[in-house]
Amino acid sequence: MDDDGLIAAVAAGDDSALRELFSRHAPWLAARLRSVLPAADVEDVLQETFLAVWRGAGGYRPESAAGGWIWGIARRQAALFLRRSGSSSLVLPAVTAADGRGAGDPAEAALSRAALAEAVSVLGPEGCPEREAWRLLYVEDRPVAEVARLMGVPEGTVKSRAHRVRRLLRAALRSGSLADGGIR
Amino acid sequence: MNVQITEVTRRFGRTQAVAGVSLETGPGVFGLLGPNGAGKTTLLRMMATVVPPSSGSMRLLGRDPGSYASRKEIRRRLGYLPQNLGYYPGFTVAEFVEYFALLKEMPAGQVPRAVAAAVERVDLGGKARAKLRTLSGGMLRRAGIAQAIVNDPELLLLDEPTAGLDPEQRMVFRGLLRDLGQRSTVVVSTHLVEDVGAACSQVAVMNEGQVVFHGTPADLTARGEGTGAAGDAPLERGYSSVLAAARSSLAARS
Amino acid sequence: MTGPDTSWDVTGGPDGVPGRAPSDVDMNQVWLGVAAQVWRRRPDLPERLAGRLLRSPGLARALVVTPSLLLAWVIASAVVLAAGTAATLGTGTPYVALLAPAVAGTGIAYAYGPGIDPAWELSRSMAISDRMVLLVRALAVFALNAGLGLVASLASGAAAAVTFGWLVPMTAVSALALAVATVARSANVGVVAGLGGWTITVLSGRAASGQFTAAVTSSALVLPYLVVAAACGAIAWCATRIPRGTP
Repeated sequence: MDDDGLIAAVAAGDDSALRELFSRHAPWLAARLRSVLPAADVEDVLQETFLAVWRGAGGYRPESAAGGWIWGIARRQAALFLRRSGSSSLVLPAVTAADGRGAGDPAEAALSRAALAEAVSVLGPEGCPEREAWRLLYVEDRPVAEVARLMGVPEGTVKSRAHRVRRLLRAALRSGSLADGGIR
Repeated sequence: MNVQITEVTRRFGRTQAVAGVSLETGPGVFGLLGPNGAGKTTLLRMMATVVPPSSGSMRLLGRDPGSYASRKEIRRRLGYLPQNLGYYPGFTVAEFVEYFALLKEMPAGQVPRAVAAAVERVDLGGKARAKLRTLSGGMLRRAGIAQAIVNDPELLLLDEPTAGLDPEQRMVFRGLLRDLGQRSTVVVSTHLVEDVGAACSQVAVMNEGQVVFHGTPADLTARGEGTGAAGDAPLERGYSSVLAAARSSLAARS
Repeated sequence: MTGPDTSWDVTGGPDGVPGRAPSDVDMNQVWLGVAAQVWRRRPDLPERLAGRLLRSPGLARALVVTPSLLLAWVIASAVVLAAGTAATLGTGTPYVALLAPAVAGTGIAYAYGPGIDPAWELSRSMAISDRMVLLVRALAVFALNAGLGLVASLASGAAAAVTFGWLVPMTAVSALALAVATVARSANVGVVAGLGGWTITVLSGRAASGQFTAAVTSSALVLPYLVVAAACGAIAWCATRIPRGTP
């Protein structure tokens, strides 16, 4: 059965389908997560990911790719996990940066973490609005409405700050990669 | 020493099912062989604290099963698969294993994971939520093994565990036995001699309620050499030879 | 069966890149964590309450799976007693008083024991002893049926002597059904014994005094009932001590 059929079966309560999904997708998910998280954390995040798949299979739309959908869940679970455990705010961007790559080389992941750290410092000092928006939106993966409430500003302001953050980071990363002779 | 049995007997009415058995064993897999009616099941039932001995003494896991409190402690650390295991048709495999985990007073928080581990160990993961009435005989037997191992028992008693399992499953089961025998005492009662040879570090042969042989599988094989006893495999020949000797000495006595 | 060298290696990934699980990530343990949550049974309110009351989740579970405590059975018992109430209101004969012991006896026979528990042998090797389970189940079934009977009795407007008079015979009939079911290893035989014994008692009472309710209202019978109940209780106790079975 293809992935779409399996997810539909999971939504209907078939735990054997979940088992099959696990055997197909857990290995590469584990590999991706492992490039940015320690092994014990990978196990926790992976477990929560598949439990989220079990609970949320009803929300899957067959138009999206199953692998991408599951990876999206894994990323959110990693964000939740890191938020709960108060881990370094730079680990999650590396998780996000693991999108579109295969099982990453830990050294490459470390390099990308360093590049990111440098880029983020461009946004301004800690606690300034851009850094706060960056932290809440992209590191802790919170929705716009929640960020607006936390920062005490309207949603429109959050969105324009996010836009500014992305512009600054893009510029910083581009110039950074050029200066280092092209990491990417 | 997990099991210390001294001159234990068991009588049912006029039948002397067990007529003076003494055994001692620690961790490892212990095989109990013998023909039907030899007393293997009764011996196992006594070790499972289901039936008290008529005479003699037993110490299981360092405790005397005669007292209520000790018996309870033993039972928490015990796994038992009877020869005839009934099942609850409306229960699923997971519910069945969970039921006995709860009756063994496993801490409730540990139960879900222990159930999952036991069900996967016997390769019933794909049938965890299937009702027992939909399972084949071999699968039911495996569900029975799962409930026996769910509490990671220190003393595991299995009466004809491979009944209904196909040869491949029996092979994998023997692997499971060896794993379990690393830490616990596993007593396997079977009439399938080859199961014993592959997995057991010690073997006893029973006949007419008594132990007529106790040693390693190699010792049993040695007993069959050069005797011309019946059997396709060396271990079987040893077994037949031991039984023949026991029967003839009984006949000589009476 | 999953052995130590079973691997969860599979190809896959949204970009088709083969992924091998990292060697330091225990995929078996991850799956067990998922399976534990997916397969777990979440006890409902009655079971949780019973667990707290009895201080034992195992005993609570054993209680809620008692055949005669399942919803269908309880409803059936209520229906029988309701019919009795209606008949009493219609004819004046206190059918409830006559039916209540019979309903209870049937329920008790199906409470537990070798007659009804297919995994009897295994249950006898459990830390929570089979006798404990039997005791709790019998008490619960008895209490439930007594409660239903009381409601039916009051609803049928019977006199006080008849309203409570059947509690003692109910105890005797229940004990008889339980003892026979345990000894004969059959719930059905227990039911027959319980119902048969009760029918004989009622008919004898009628023959002696001309009233159907003699079996329930006659104070001379209280002591015999209690003696029967005690004796049958002892028999059930002994019968669960030494199990028979293939040696």
